[in-house]
Amino acid sequence: MFDLVIRNGLIVDGSGLPGRRGDVAISDGKVVSVGGRAGEARREIDATGNVVAPGFIDPHTHYDAQLCFDPYAFPAIEHGVTTVVPGNCSLSLAPLRAEQRVAFSSMFRLIEEMPEAAFDAGVDWRWGEDFGGMLDALTGNIALNVAPLVGHSVLRMYVMGDAAQERPATPEEITAMADLLRVCLDAGAVGLSTSFVDIDETYRPVPSRWASPDELDALAAVLGERDRVLQIVHEFFDADLTVARVEQLAELSLRHGITTTLSPLFHSDANHHAVTKVMAAVEAARASGAAVWPQVQTRPIDISFTLDQRSLMLLTMPSWWKVASIRDRDEKLAAVIEQRQALVDEMNSLARRPGAGLGAGGFVVRDVVHERNRDLIGRNIDDIARERGASHGDTVVDLAVDEGLGTWFIRESIGHNNSEVVGELLANPLVHVGASDGGAHVGSFSTFGDTGFLFSEFVRGTKSLSLEAAVKKITLDPATIWGLQGRGLLAPGYAADVVVFDADRIGRGPEVASDDFPGEGIRWIRRQEGIDTVIVNGEITWTADDGYIAGARAGAIATR
Amino acid sequence: MSARRYVFAQMGDDFAAIAARELPGVDGAEQQLLAWNLHLAARAGLGRGVGLLPSDIVFTEPPPARPAA
Repeated sequence: MFDLVIRNGLIVDGSGLPGRRGDVAISDGKVVSVGGRAGEARREIDATGNVVAPGFIDPHTHYDAQLCFDPYAFPAIEHGVTTVVPGNCSLSLAPLRAEQRVAFSSMFRLIEEMPEAAFDAGVDWRWGEDFGGMLDALTGNIALNVAPLVGHSVLRMYVMGDAAQERPATPEEITAMADLLRVCLDAGAVGLSTSFVDIDETYRPVPSRWASPDELDALAAVLGERDRVLQIVHEFFDADLTVARVEQLAELSLRHGITTTLSPLFHSDANHHAVTKVMAAVEAARASGAAVWPQVQTRPIDISFTLDQRSLMLLTMPSWWKVASIRDRDEKLAAVIEQRQALVDEMNSLARRPGAGLGAGGFVVRDVVHERNRDLIGRNIDDIARERGASHGDTVVDLAVDEGLGTWFIRESIGHNNSEVVGELLANPLVHVGASDGGAHVGSFSTFGDTGFLFSEFVRGTKSLSLEAAVKKITLDPATIWGLQGRGLLAPGYAADVVVFDADRIGRGPEVASDDFPGEGIRWIRRQEGIDTVIVNGEITWTADDGYIAGARAGAIATR
Repeated sequence: MSARRYVFAQMGDDFAAIAARELPGVDGAEQQLLAWNLHLAARAGLGRGVGLLPSDIVFTEPPPARPAA
């Protein structure tokens, strides 16, 4: 007798081959049989009319902190995600010395836009300092699988202390980092992540950016010893810089035999040649035998923000960024009033910048504090400004000051929103579906539902991918790229990570505010659409009828 | 296969040093480097005096002409 049989679904097994109707049998956390009519089971799921596929794999996340207080990485699982890769962009919670936690936490919260209260309440550092200890602490306490990267910035901090953000490493320090990386990989790290773009709380480049190419080469050599992955976040805003990074990765890949990935790769109609140029470099790298995978996200870029907190949107306005960095609300409001003209001018200058057209006139009022302003919700600033005879900047500031800076604005469709072009890119066999940033940027946008959007927008909508191709893109492809053996495919002996969904309904759901994180404030999430059941290592973990199953903790460290 | 030639900055480098090393004898080389590397020139706004970093890519030739739309 099997533990579980999923009956009569359309089995789309992750291979990309056409689906077929039949049963999937599971025992002891593994797939036992695929297709045909399976015998009796202790539990059965009727999948008639639904697709049965491998669980989805999200290769670019920052659930590091959230997993410490939320074993479900809510709401990732209900979207069909059964394996996540945290630790991207040079930042992992280990290895880290106890005395470095404050500085690191500040850096992580800033870069990944994680609220301080949530981070501090949720991350207890119970594992101590080492990477293996962190994975031990997660083991048995997670409902989905984790394949963690170790961050280059924390490796540097551990070995070099404060000098990690002051200078290149000495040969001895590089050797120490290589040794430490080896220990982390042997403890279960899926690879190394590094950043060429991020800054910390004091605007200082993160430690990984102080590394010389020789240092990265030495660390890549260690990855080569263990056949692990190098992930980078690069200067994605510039095509020539991205091409140069592709070439750098190609050289590292060829020299050390490693798989490399860069994220994100965005398309913009304002600079539509950029993706063409980058993909030409990727094709050249591929032709040379290098493994360089650009990660492409499915969703368009929308950013929500208030003027009360630092956000991605304020990064384009340094004066606003500095004001938003003031911790005390009253002091912040006073600074806005005092510096009003300069701040208004800076906001108005957005419209004169080349490229993406981020002018404040395109901001839309998303939510308001006062009832008297409720009729403004859904209207754009250009419209309101015309009515009031004021500039865009004055209009935004007037409203925000009236509401104690609590007004929510949104700038929609900043880029990556031409579905025909993005669909073609996603279908390219040389790109990797990723860059969701799951668990990060909680106040700027929802990082959930990208997998559902792949089906709703690019399978059913533009028809850029077949159902089978889309499933493969987020199952067997990432499992293969990341070396997650025994996952990503419905086949006997593979881990029973399974999602049952309605191919006609699966989507990403509307973006809604949620106050579920510890502390005050909200984050933006999306709830699933069209998912029926999610199974992790043979354990039913979420169902449309019962929601999250209490006590489900079958998640594993996927690299152990 | 590179679209543009580049070098990595060395610790302590400034544009003058790179110009002397990479573009010897070229008039106005430092200003040209600045113009070709606006991503680095703009860092002064938020970087608070952080100079070039060892991981920085510094282009040593101008961008190619943009293809026609």
